[in-house]
Amino acid sequence: MATATSPSTPLSPTVLAILLSLAESEKGWTSESSPGPWEGKHGYLIMKDARLPQGGAVHMGPGTLYGSLDRMIRDGMVEESGLSDDERRRYYRLTQHGHSVLATELSRLEATLTSARALGLIPHGGRS
Amino acid sequence: MTPSNNENGRPLRFYRWATQLYPQPFRSVYAAAMQQTLRDALNDQTIPHRFLAAVLIRDLAISLVKEHLAMLRETYSRPALVFNALVLAALATGLGLALHVIPMQVLRLSANDPQIALADDLVAQLERGIAPAAAVPAATIDMARSLSPFVIVYDDQGHPLASQAQLNGTVPAPPAGVFDQVRLRGAERLSWQPVLGREGGVRIATVLQRVNGAHPGFVLAGRNMREVEAREQVVQKLAGMTWLGMMGVILVGTLAFGWYTRPKDHAVL
Repeated sequence: MATATSPSTPLSPTVLAILLSLAESEKGWTSESSPGPWEGKHGYLIMKDARLPQGGAVHMGPGTLYGSLDRMIRDGMVEESGLSDDERRRYYRLTQHGHSVLATELSRLEATLTSARALGLIPHGGRS
Repeated sequence: MTPSNNENGRPLRFYRWATQLYPQPFRSVYAAAMQQTLRDALNDQTIPHRFLAAVLIRDLAISLVKEHLAMLRETYSRPALVFNALVLAALATGLGLALHVIPMQVLRLSANDPQIALADDLVAQLERGIAPAAAVPAATIDMARSLSPFVIVYDDQGHPLASQAQLNGTVPAPPAGVFDQVRLRGAERLSWQPVLGREGGVRIATVLQRVNGAHPGFVLAGRNMREVEAREQVVQKLAGMTWLGMMGVILVGTLAFGWYTRPKDHAVL
């Protein structure tokens, strides 16, 4: 069983994109082929979310995706949901530790953006 | 236009082959899921296949290296393996040092052998009242060139009275402190360097003994250490090569043992 280790931030863009994608599925947002909230997402849906600008705009392939998921499972951020609509598809969801790591990273990014705005590097109210 | 199964078949076949290049524990868990992910991507009509191919090639290049490095790290960072290797390396280093120090000591100590006998005999003669000039052999030995043992007799103040050897035309004397030590302890065995310097320096394996009696003084028996030092260098090289050899065997053995005992099952699932 994977044990949760302390989150190491800043996270890599790939890990952040995976966490965001999985967090999004828990909020009830699913794309047409997702089985539903709380059941997690399979690899291709995560890859697809990550490619979107709001998902991090990370273009990753299956090797990078499953390598990252493997390490995230070891770090206790992600777990397999156990659901499978096809034996070759694996579904993943966030753990409590994963939520905590994501929240920490987002707070860090928020603070960075706030600081950048204060310095006038990003227009107030502009997209960040 | 929907890609046909045939169009998807070739990239899938290539990718099935490519997933075989991942480390066995990784691919046993994820290969099927990775292939399914690619199948899903190929069936997604919103992604141009050319773009997908570029992502896939880059992904293979990066993730193959990454997963193999992760597997090597997992294989060789096991505490028991590292601990065993460190213990063996420490033992090899200890053995290498012993192979260096012990023969050096034996060589150095045995370099005193003829001088001990010469000094003993000469002290006995002087204490019987024989004059230094008569007791010391007449031959003149060049301390810098000759490997023959020689003797020198000094008076109680450390001035030479008779000598079998010379260095650059004079009879050198050890530092005054050495005579003081011999006054207290009766004898000293030391390496004396009348001419300093690594190149061209002269080192003498020296036995200095106190002469008691009516005419107190000192007897020095010495021998140039050039040959002993040459043997010490050979011992040093052999010990160094032995140490390197042992470390090489430990390294190769640890790598081989680590590889054959690597975790066969993926740790996570």
